[in-house]
Amino acid sequence: MTAFPARGVLSGFRPRLAGLAVLAVLAWLLPYRLNVYWISVADTALLFALLAVGMGLVMGTAGQVNLAQIAFFGVGAYATGILTTHDGLGFWTAAAAALGFAVAAGLVAGLPALRVQSHYLGIVTLGLAVAFVDWITNAPVTGGDSGLSGIPTPPLFGIDLSSQYLYYYLELVVLAAGLLFGYFVVRTPLGRRMRAMRDDSLAAGAAGAEIGVLRMMAFVLAGVYGGAAGVLYAGQIHYIAPETFSVADMFLLLAMVIIGGRQSLAGCVIGAVGLTVVQQELVNLAAYAQLGYGLVVVAVVVFAPSGLVGLPARLRRRRTRVVAALEPFAPSALSGTPASVTSGALLEVSDLVMRFRGLTALGGVSVDVRAGEILGVVGPNGSGKTTLFNVISGLYRPSGGSVRFADRNISGARPYRISQLGIARTFQHLRLFRNLTVLDNVLVSMDRTRSWWSWRYVCWPWGVWRYDRSLRERADALVRGFGLASFASALPGELPYGIQRRLEIARAMASSPSLLLLDEPAAGLNGDEQRQLAEIVRAIRDSGVTVVLIEHNMGLVMSLCERVVVLDSGVVIASGAPGEVARDPAVLEAYLGKSALPGLPTPQPSEPAPTEAT
Amino acid sequence: MQSFFQTLVSGLSFGAVYALVALGFSLVYRTMGLVNFAHGAVLMIGAYVASTFYLSARLPFAVAVPAAIAVTGVVGLVIERVLRPLENKDFDLMLIGTIGAGTVLEAAAILIWTSAGRGVPSPVSVAPLIVGGVRIGGYNLVVIGIAAAAVGALALFLQRTKRGAAMQAVAMDHEAATAVGIHVGRSNALAFAIGAGLAALAGSLAAPMLYVSPTMGDSLGIQGFAAAILGGFGSIPGAIVGGLGIGVIGSFAAQWFQGYSDLVTFVVFTVLVMIRPTGVFGERTVNRA
Repeated sequence: MTAFPARGVLSGFRPRLAGLAVLAVLAWLLPYRLNVYWISVADTALLFALLAVGMGLVMGTAGQVNLAQIAFFGVGAYATGILTTHDGLGFWTAAAAALGFAVAAGLVAGLPALRVQSHYLGIVTLGLAVAFVDWITNAPVTGGDSGLSGIPTPPLFGIDLSSQYLYYYLELVVLAAGLLFGYFVVRTPLGRRMRAMRDDSLAAGAAGAEIGVLRMMAFVLAGVYGGAAGVLYAGQIHYIAPETFSVADMFLLLAMVIIGGRQSLAGCVIGAVGLTVVQQELVNLAAYAQLGYGLVVVAVVVFAPSGLVGLPARLRRRRTRVVAALEPFAPSALSGTPASVTSGALLEVSDLVMRFRGLTALGGVSVDVRAGEILGVVGPNGSGKTTLFNVISGLYRPSGGSVRFADRNISGARPYRISQLGIARTFQHLRLFRNLTVLDNVLVSMDRTRSWWSWRYVCWPWGVWRYDRSLRERADALVRGFGLASFASALPGELPYGIQRRLEIARAMASSPSLLLLDEPAAGLNGDEQRQLAEIVRAIRDSGVTVVLIEHNMGLVMSLCERVVVLDSGVVIASGAPGEVARDPAVLEAYLGKSALPGLPTPQPSEPAPTEAT
Repeated sequence: MQSFFQTLVSGLSFGAVYALVALGFSLVYRTMGLVNFAHGAVLMIGAYVASTFYLSARLPFAVAVPAAIAVTGVVGLVIERVLRPLENKDFDLMLIGTIGAGTVLEAAAILIWTSAGRGVPSPVSVAPLIVGGVRIGGYNLVVIGIAAAAVGALALFLQRTKRGAAMQAVAMDHEAATAVGIHVGRSNALAFAIGAGLAALAGSLAAPMLYVSPTMGDSLGIQGFAAAILGGFGSIPGAIVGGLGIGVIGSFAAQWFQGYSDLVTFVVFTVLVMIRPTGVFGERTVNRA
């Protein structure tokens, strides 16, 4: 039945656990085989691995281009150094404070992420890293060019950590803990939202994720990992100087993450350990080594864009094909109370104005949506239908007018807020999270927690685990009900278009909304799929959810909607029962032009016609 | 007041170099959607080639620079061919791919010219111009003049020639450009070569002001990139304004804060980007759902 290998949290758990146990034993025994020189290389490799896991979380998982990771490392190391040598604090007290400083550095470097993304964010964070190096090379407190020396060895229950061999175990334990926590984050609600944000921040916002807070959290995580590595580095080497935290080292770290595979934390570790060892092997051939390293980086990026860990999957994916079939939709998937017939309107849009510079997309639109109805919004292309949806769902802040939902003013509220109040939507051009499985797509939207819920990750991880399990049970049921069970572990891009459309509706319904906005749900569907869509929309309404849909397929609108609103050039030109509206002269004029009016047959309410143009 | 203008003049001549770097970034980004982090390394190659022609081959500066531009342009063609699969792709890959290319260039420079840097004497020996007590070095005027001429020539090329128009068309929509018969690959290669040529010009002009070394491109590249973003990424007037802006900010930061000039420059840059993410001439884009 299952055509895709399961990728759930427990899938392949046992073989993987066995593999991990073997790795752990090997890592534990490694020092016995290494001489003094190589054990220090191993220590360095573990530190880079810890840094790389932090990079993997902020870049690979949350999609934030962070080129200041080396500065977080530096903040951790310098704070430890200054607090122990200047202020005479004990090592672990200084270490705790240093972690705090690194987190603060993460917050500072993350602030620009609230305004800019991609290469802009890359150059701003890189600029901040340069600024940090400039500060440590000049400030008296950091010892300037000559750096800080005399940092004490961390005391640990009488274990002599001045031995590089014993220090290795300290770093190994910290790395293992960091890796474990990283995986925990990635596979539970917080990381899932981050991955969703990475794939499509707009859709993630509409699904209830607080984008700004999530970005800051990603930078905080990067700060924690960078700071921890810095503390360990200071305690290991006892001496720190600016050249360790240079832009060149930042690029080396970046190469580790990309070569290993940025979307997998294990890949980040593999890349870090691999590159550190290769670099040490070639240390005597500096220029040739640099040449070779540069060529390898270019080759990996061009030929294996998902990194080394992505290679097996790339080869495998070429062979697998989708053989599973879509199962019928089961209305029982929608648990909900039948529409409580309230007298008032669920959604009141009044005098809504939306201007983009000179262009008025909505010129005073007023629409009431009654609880429990299916309302159609039609109109020629460019008449403002999608703009109306975008304003209601909070993607645009309206230039005037108001939107009230369940007696609450929501005009100008943020998308996540609107999602949490109970409005869900789909997009005209599909906006699925393309690197998340079908099940994960649904899970993102099913997670209704606020961002501050994430404190549990630090204080109450079992609670997170249990909540995730309950989410998974409900998501499984929903995916099954929508007939998508055989695709649960597939990526959206591997599925036919019609199934992707259905997944988008399933994802929207996962947030248990009371109002569902569907933007051209039938676009690109064949006749059979359109009939299934009509059935799904009716079942959604019968489960107590109010539906508003934009559609060009008049057959579908006529058969499905109880009321229709017609928009033209940003104003409502008609509204009422589908039959009346279809005969309204103003509507015919908007669609066909004035001269075409007389003698035209009026469309009749009917089942959706498969050949209808959209 | 006098020292204020003195600082301003020095900032403007560095700014002219940054503007040329930013111009190369922007041209390549705009036409082919490639954010080229190897740009600084290309600049360094240009500076080395020019200084080799000028110092070792004893060519006049006015001949050495165009020759360096031509050689570096060819290097640019090779890089473009290798990195072509990354064009218009995922930014993370572009970032590390172009950084990798930059690393290769730096290693090549060490192998050819060794890691020891070299100083280049100023090719202009006229006495500095003194205007109202402000000393304006002859070479500073030459740098500003050449940079202005290069910007003018580029603008003419983009607006008045068929190839330039084709490049603009590719920038707007590369699929539509293919449909009307423009060879997008060739147009991109040319754009990258011009970008490399601009970097070589910037590098050659900076050579007598700085010290030519395999890592000289790192800092110039980052400053030029910051300049491009400050002005509005992909915009030609933006590159000029951003370049002069970064030059002036850096010059005043060095005057007032001595060693902390990088710190001040990048903190100011970060604040400016947060206030106006699209830069001075950037286009405002609306997220479409």
